[in-house]
Amino acid sequence: MKKVLAQIGKEIAQFRRDKLTLALAFFLPFVALLLYGYATRLESKNILVAVKNFDTGSLSRDYIDTLFSTGQLQAAPFRGSGVDIMEPLDKDGVKAAIVIPPEFSRKVSRRERAQVQVVIDACDVNNARVVKNCIIASTNYFLRSKDLQTTRNLISPQVRLWFNPGRDEALYVAPGAIAVILWIFPCLLAALAMAREKEQGTILQLYASSLSSFELIAGKTIAYTLIALMQAALIISASFLLFGLRFVGDITVFFLSLVLFLYSAVAFGVFAGTRATTQSAAVQIVATTGFTTALLLSGFLYPLRNITYPLSLISNVLPARYFVSAARNAFVRGSDFGSQLYIPVSIAIAAFVLYMAASKILRRMQLKG
Amino acid sequence: MNKLNYFTQLKALMRKEVQQILRDKQLLFLLFFMPILQLFIYGFALSPEVDRLRLGVVDHASSTVSRALTAALVVNDVFELKESGGRDAALAALVRDGALDAGLIIPADLERRYRAGLKTNVQVFIDGVDANSAGIAAGYVSQILASFNRNLSSGSQESREIISPQISFAYNPGLISSWFFVPGVIALVLNLVSTLVSSAALVREKDSGTLEQLLMTPVSSKQILLAKIVPLAALLMITVAVALLVSVLVFHVPFRGNLLLFLFVSFLAVLVGISIGIALAAYSENQRQSLLTSFFINLPVIQLSGAIAPMESMPEFFQYLSYLDPLRYYVICVRALLLKGGGFSEIWIEVLSLSVYAFVLLSLSSSRFRKQLK
Repeated sequence: MKKVLAQIGKEIAQFRRDKLTLALAFFLPFVALLLYGYATRLESKNILVAVKNFDTGSLSRDYIDTLFSTGQLQAAPFRGSGVDIMEPLDKDGVKAAIVIPPEFSRKVSRRERAQVQVVIDACDVNNARVVKNCIIASTNYFLRSKDLQTTRNLISPQVRLWFNPGRDEALYVAPGAIAVILWIFPCLLAALAMAREKEQGTILQLYASSLSSFELIAGKTIAYTLIALMQAALIISASFLLFGLRFVGDITVFFLSLVLFLYSAVAFGVFAGTRATTQSAAVQIVATTGFTTALLLSGFLYPLRNITYPLSLISNVLPARYFVSAARNAFVRGSDFGSQLYIPVSIAIAAFVLYMAASKILRRMQLKG
Repeated sequence: MNKLNYFTQLKALMRKEVQQILRDKQLLFLLFFMPILQLFIYGFALSPEVDRLRLGVVDHASSTVSRALTAALVVNDVFELKESGGRDAALAALVRDGALDAGLIIPADLERRYRAGLKTNVQVFIDGVDANSAGIAAGYVSQILASFNRNLSSGSQESREIISPQISFAYNPGLISSWFFVPGVIALVLNLVSTLVSSAALVREKDSGTLEQLLMTPVSSKQILLAKIVPLAALLMITVAVALLVSVLVFHVPFRGNLLLFLFVSFLAVLVGISIGIALAAYSENQRQSLLTSFFINLPVIQLSGAIAPMESMPEFFQYLSYLDPLRYYVICVRALLLKGGGFSEIWIEVLSLSVYAFVLLSLSSSRFRKQLK
């Protein structure tokens, strides 16, 4: 135990000495939180839509007002004659074009059908869907409010969105960003520390010492988990201040998962560090295997169910995937204790496997006796 | 120094450079394997699709109409029927714990009210944690119920409403999500690979002290730098070709624009990446430092470029900030050239901006690097 403690002291002293490492530990995660938390939004507001109105009546003007009444769409000038509906797309950032035919108001007031042409720029698939839904919903609202509906809606849904009724995307992105950041950076720091011993040859001294591979890794991982806890405190309190996150519901599972999660991130870093011979190789292993998977396969940005098989299998063994859920449960959903116990258990298994893998590699290198 | 001599020296230096890069497994991995890997992971992992949402139904009416209603929600795969627990409270708990994405509660008097021609509300609640998906799902629920009502009253799902918008999607009519991500990933990966490979190639000489040896030879610092840049740019253009091939062959992303223009803007993006790499090398003592510093640059450059999350969705401040990001212009160009088929007239502003960035960054970083050599 004494040996482990001494090693923790040595690791932290080494960590504090290098300015670049300190910036990597505390400054860059903060920048990443700002970039992910503020600049990453899936749904656009104020999507520019150009309308060409060939009609002269008042109903078409009311209809156009309805389209722009929710604030999701914003009117833009229609560049072009209106013969080619594609023409205004891409000009001045216009994402959709609508052409209202002549005689629209006359037809509608006589309860004859009037067709409205819409074309949406579908390069961004998600926002194309948003625009489509918005136009359909506004049209239905217009028909209802003018009493123009032909079918009676005998069954109507009362749709409520739970947990995030205002559909504030920060509530979705920020907890995910916390998870991704708290995976990437602890992992990177631990990998660097481990690879440094190998690169500088100091690991040979450790091999020859009386320190067992178990103790060696325990010292490294505990030291870097302590540093990771400081990072977590910084990142979580920053998101409280910046994104207005609050704990809702049970927090024991979250904190239990947090400690295990940070430990597994560090263990993964140490494992990567034992595989690499140089620090730059270690960074690359972590960047390609750790960074990309945490960012893409954890459900941080897009729903987990959309990940194609067999990539979805990888996602199931990623601690980040479970911690993203834990963070969303703690900050948004407010799930109770019992329903989410699978989260710390899964992360603990991952942490254990990574720890064993790292110490096994080291044991092989150690001097016997 | 005569001209002939100058070019022989340059040629020799370039040959050395290519050999050194091709011998380095780490750099080869970055140059040729990384783009394939990243395109596969991004292309298959990222999708904003809203379908197969887990729906629990508590049907108190348990009648023909209520069963037809449930079937209508499930039929086009937007929702997938799951165990609901049978009671309102149990269903609510399942949604609260994240075991279900949505719940539907149908009141007991649905059939009676329907026969009597009275309006009935059914309760739908959707897990709103994923704000974007929840919004789209809510839209789908309204649309599905509207067509269900039409079906009940007229026997046809087709809209007979007085105003019916005829909506079509331009550039990506099938709404294939990888078509949005793949052009972005081409840009992202090119940025990563070009900065990492070029900084590694330059800083390695510093690290191992061979740079001093090179300086003792009769070659000039300009030649040394030129001999670094030209082979790197050539190799990185192969990376571009690999990425484009994977996009078209694996993801079937259309290539609707001008290939020459694509190669030209990619060349500009490569130059921007190399300049960043040179700057990293100039300011770092060793590979570790340049690699770690690259995180501080690449993270914001990629995040602000609109490669992964749409530029238009960013808050205004970050949209303005992104004008400072050279990758932003390349992302716009790649999307336009692949999906929209636009020519120079559509993207000339972006091409021009990218050229200016390439020129300015390259001159700044190389003068900085050469100053260090003296």
